[in-house]
Amino acid sequence: MNRTIVAVAVMALLAALAGALYRQRRHTASLRAQLDAAAAELQHLQEACSRLAPAGVVQRLIADGLRLSPEAAAERKVVTALFADLVGFTAMSERLEPAVLARVLNGYFQRMSDAIHEHRGHVSTFLGDGILAYFGALQPNPWQCNDAVRAALAMRAAMREYNVELAREGLPALAVGIGIHRGTGLAGMIGSRERMEYGFVGRTVNLAARVQGLTRTHQVDILITEALRPDLDTRFVLAPMPAEPVKGIAEPVVTYAVREALS
Amino acid sequence: MASALEHVAWEPCWIEPRPDRALESHARRKQGMSNPAIPYFSSVPWLARGLVDLHPEYGLLMQIDHHIMDLVGLVVSQENSCRFCYAAVRAMLWAQGMSTERIQGVEQDQARADLPPRTVAAIAFGRSQSRSGPVGARAARDALRRAGLGTDEMKELAFVVAFLDFSNRAHTIPAIPTRPVERIPDQLLMRLLRPLVNRILRKSRYRGQATSLDRVPSYPYVRLVRAYEGSPIAPALGRTLEEMWGSRHLTRRCKLLMLAVVARGLACEVCAPEIGEALQNEGMTESAIAHVLTHLDAPELDPVERILVPFARDTIWYEPAVVQRRARALRDRLTGPQLLEGIGVASLANGLCRMGAMALDHP
Repeated sequence: MNRTIVAVAVMALLAALAGALYRQRRHTASLRAQLDAAAAELQHLQEACSRLAPAGVVQRLIADGLRLSPEAAAERKVVTALFADLVGFTAMSERLEPAVLARVLNGYFQRMSDAIHEHRGHVSTFLGDGILAYFGALQPNPWQCNDAVRAALAMRAAMREYNVELAREGLPALAVGIGIHRGTGLAGMIGSRERMEYGFVGRTVNLAARVQGLTRTHQVDILITEALRPDLDTRFVLAPMPAEPVKGIAEPVVTYAVREALS
Repeated sequence: MASALEHVAWEPCWIEPRPDRALESHARRKQGMSNPAIPYFSSVPWLARGLVDLHPEYGLLMQIDHHIMDLVGLVVSQENSCRFCYAAVRAMLWAQGMSTERIQGVEQDQARADLPPRTVAAIAFGRSQSRSGPVGARAARDALRRAGLGTDEMKELAFVVAFLDFSNRAHTIPAIPTRPVERIPDQLLMRLLRPLVNRILRKSRYRGQATSLDRVPSYPYVRLVRAYEGSPIAPALGRTLEEMWGSRHLTRRCKLLMLAVVARGLACEVCAPEIGEALQNEGMTESAIAHVLTHLDAPELDPVERILVPFARDTIWYEPAVVQRRARALRDRLTGPQLLEGIGVASLANGLCRMGAMALDHP
């Protein structure tokens, strides 16, 4: 009788142990799965960040963690800046319903970003209805001038296609002005402790924005500065524009309208 | 075993695999097992052989430990987003008995604490060279020296990274199918045979022995090959280069132009002069070369060069799916072997520039 009780007790103990072991294994497997998912998420995040800043900068930021020293990641670089802005958007924004306006604007941003990305540029920021993009900021790119002008031509073509779509919906056509300039500046993590982004600071960006403003003066859609010309493919058809004074620059700025690229 | 690269977009492969008994048995003899990628490269034999003969695990390393090589292979393939090579190295580490947790730890840089400082430095070197290339060579060399690596070890490590940069691109650009390799650790049969696979792998991996360079090279990258004189790397590299120049799918000038474009894109001041000289020997003037390198085109280029010269720059910094789509788009304009040889040349150029910068003292 006693033996039976002991045997049953031992068996019950073994069963309880087996159950506990099984539960523990399941728990471990579940934790492992969560860890895998978190690791994959982290990997995704790192890769996503690499599109916003050079991979080396992202790596340094991850390694430094919160003890971030943004100054350590800053460097001088030659970059081509492209600044694009919608012409007559303010007037249009007053006429359209907010939801329609947002859809039109998002469609515009998407198409312009695709054209920039396709030509190895990276969109740094959207400023209202404007787009600031860089070529040669994330990776060294000796062909950045040609890439930027090809991107601008692709943006022009994308805009034409988008306008056909908008017309089909009875919506007004959009027009874009693009200014491109190349120069040296400070590239790095810039901002406050709370909000920081990989940016490029210097006269280059200001001048690209000013040149974009000149597209209205010259009634053209793409303008480049003299700084791009030496490295530009000779198949781009350029038209010289009269030099114009711009805010913050002592000398009048010589620009060229980009007509087309000969094949 | 979930791979960190499984989410990386990978286009369908556009090469029809073509079995080649001679090439496949060459790979089997050298690597101890069949190489599933060889049939995809068989139309360009120098490329298929180069991927086998330059593989550092099989008799080319005299200084660097194979285990370090594997770990460097893991992080460089991860950097280059090469799902094929990444899965192959993972499978190799797994077969050798490394747990999946530890493999993931290395991938995520969490194993720094329990890896020797030299290994950590080698891994960091692999990462930085894949990211920055020749421009970061001096800083990378200083970091390795601080970790206690000697000159010959550094040169071997530079070769390992160069081979990986070559192999990663050669597998990524034509989108060689990854599933068969990625599945290896999950297959029941492979799990059961793991100890046996480990034995086969161990037997086929062997240390290199000092080897003299019998033939003085007569092609560009002479200095680079000579920099490895005494190591088995020199004759292996020399042979691959010679076979590459000897292959007739693309002209010598076209290959040189592609090499020059990659050297310019990576700002490699070591390789560029030698390639420039070789292009002048092909009859190109200095101004014509400068024009091609500035605009990636020139009126005197032939139709194949006009396609492959701009394509070469796409192989320097890329996202796998984007470069795969760009390569696929060229299929109608080039023959299959021409395109594959172009991919091979550009891939090799990416490796050689990084290697040259380390081995020949990039300024």
